[in-house]
Amino acid sequence: MNESALCSKTHEYVLELQNNQYEVGITDYAIEQLGDIVFVELPEVGSVFEKNEVFATIESVKAASEVYMPISGKVIEINESIVDSPESLNDESVEDKWFIKIESEADQVEFADLLDYSDYKEEIE
Amino acid sequence: MTKQTFLHDKHVKLGARMVDFAGWHMPVQYTSIIEEHNTVRNNVGLFDVSHMGEVIVKGEDALPFLNKLVPQDLTKLVERKAIYCQMTNKSGGIIDDLIIYKIENEKYLIIFNASRIDEDLNWMVRNKNGFNVDVINESHNYSLLAVQGPKACDLMKSIGLEDLPPFFSIKRAELFNVNLWVSRTGYTGEDGVEILVRNEFSEMLWDKILEAGKDLGIKPIGLGARDTLRLEAALHLYGNDLDEDTTPVEAGLAWSVAKDKLDDYNGKEVIMEQLKTGGRKKLIGLKMLDKGIARHGYEVYDKDKKIGVITSGGISPVRGENIALAYIDNNPDYKLDSIIGVMIRDKIHNAQIIKKPFVNKRNKTEV
Repeated sequence: MNESALCSKTHEYVLELQNNQYEVGITDYAIEQLGDIVFVELPEVGSVFEKNEVFATIESVKAASEVYMPISGKVIEINESIVDSPESLNDESVEDKWFIKIESEADQVEFADLLDYSDYKEEIE
Repeated sequence: MTKQTFLHDKHVKLGARMVDFAGWHMPVQYTSIIEEHNTVRNNVGLFDVSHMGEVIVKGEDALPFLNKLVPQDLTKLVERKAIYCQMTNKSGGIIDDLIIYKIENEKYLIIFNASRIDEDLNWMVRNKNGFNVDVINESHNYSLLAVQGPKACDLMKSIGLEDLPPFFSIKRAELFNVNLWVSRTGYTGEDGVEILVRNEFSEMLWDKILEAGKDLGIKPIGLGARDTLRLEAALHLYGNDLDEDTTPVEAGLAWSVAKDKLDDYNGKEVIMEQLKTGGRKKLIGLKMLDKGIARHGYEVYDKDKKIGVITSGGISPVRGENIALAYIDNNPDYKLDSIIGVMIRDKIHNAQIIKKPFVNKRNKTEV
């Protein structure tokens, strides 16, 4: 995953694409921990979420997990490819593992509890 | 404290993800649950199931004692044969499901679930009065390895087990100069064997089997795939699909219950009555029509009326569908092909009642 992303303690990441536009997904560590992913449910384009609100659900063979918004925002695009082939998340050769793209007015406060990728790595080890 | 099998270090070295299961630190997966699942369906897999309980019952009253504990008729069990049983309480509820092997007259081997061994032993002791019998827990002395899959028997032959025991039979054998027990049983719906060996030889045997199975595509298989395999085969998991409030009839195990057993046994009255009338609930197989996985504890609906609960659910790698087992009200309106609803994250998802097992079992070819 892109190491300039910021990560949450619940294993989501947010990556700034351009002004006020961000990509949101789950970390490579989260994918590894989940094991075989068999189902991904994403919100509709246009949905609006608060920070820490559940915006997606992932099912691995073993369990269902909820995915939380690392920052608030409005969904402008979803990654249909992971809905159609959830197993692609486990495929190391696949690069496009983002979940949604959002527009966000999030301020400093919302970013305060997010970690640099390197700090996140330290945190999980 | 969490217990470890004698193969624990092997699992860790193989890179397994370890989890706590029924008080044991066990491998849930080595690489991928789906990959391990398919290995067992297509080739052969090796499982460490040493967490399971092994109990010897012997003495002159071994037969009448055991026959009091289960709805199966053990008077018909011949030497070196095995039978799948349930140990029932006085209301017919299932204390555990188990396999009883008749080793010889007045001596039986029982394999219990790891999660239930304490309850099992307590119950046996409480029922022992008046029987001249010894109940000996051998769980700490033995390891249990399962070799399962369409190539399991070829593999066993290649390591010197020329004459495999027939389906649901057990035999004494010698492999790599070690005396052990081999039974033609398993919990995957595939052909294969389970090997009961003294702990000190389990690591050697594990390595030898993995080595010998290389060309057949053998892999070590974790508890994750053990669960998806048994679900596809619609084999019950105690704690999920069976409990003390559920009778064998309700659990869809009437086929295993003796219809003409003369001896009395715990729960006989309830079970015999239910054989005629059915139980309060029934176990059904489901496939999900809508996207989503039904999991243990999710509620089942007929329109807006709650009619039951999912007991096990997950993916079926072989069918490419999501499947589940559920208890629903024993109502004849709910039959094969009926569409019912499963509540997943506050939304009803349609599911259809289908026949169990979800895949064809392939372990009865040489009965």
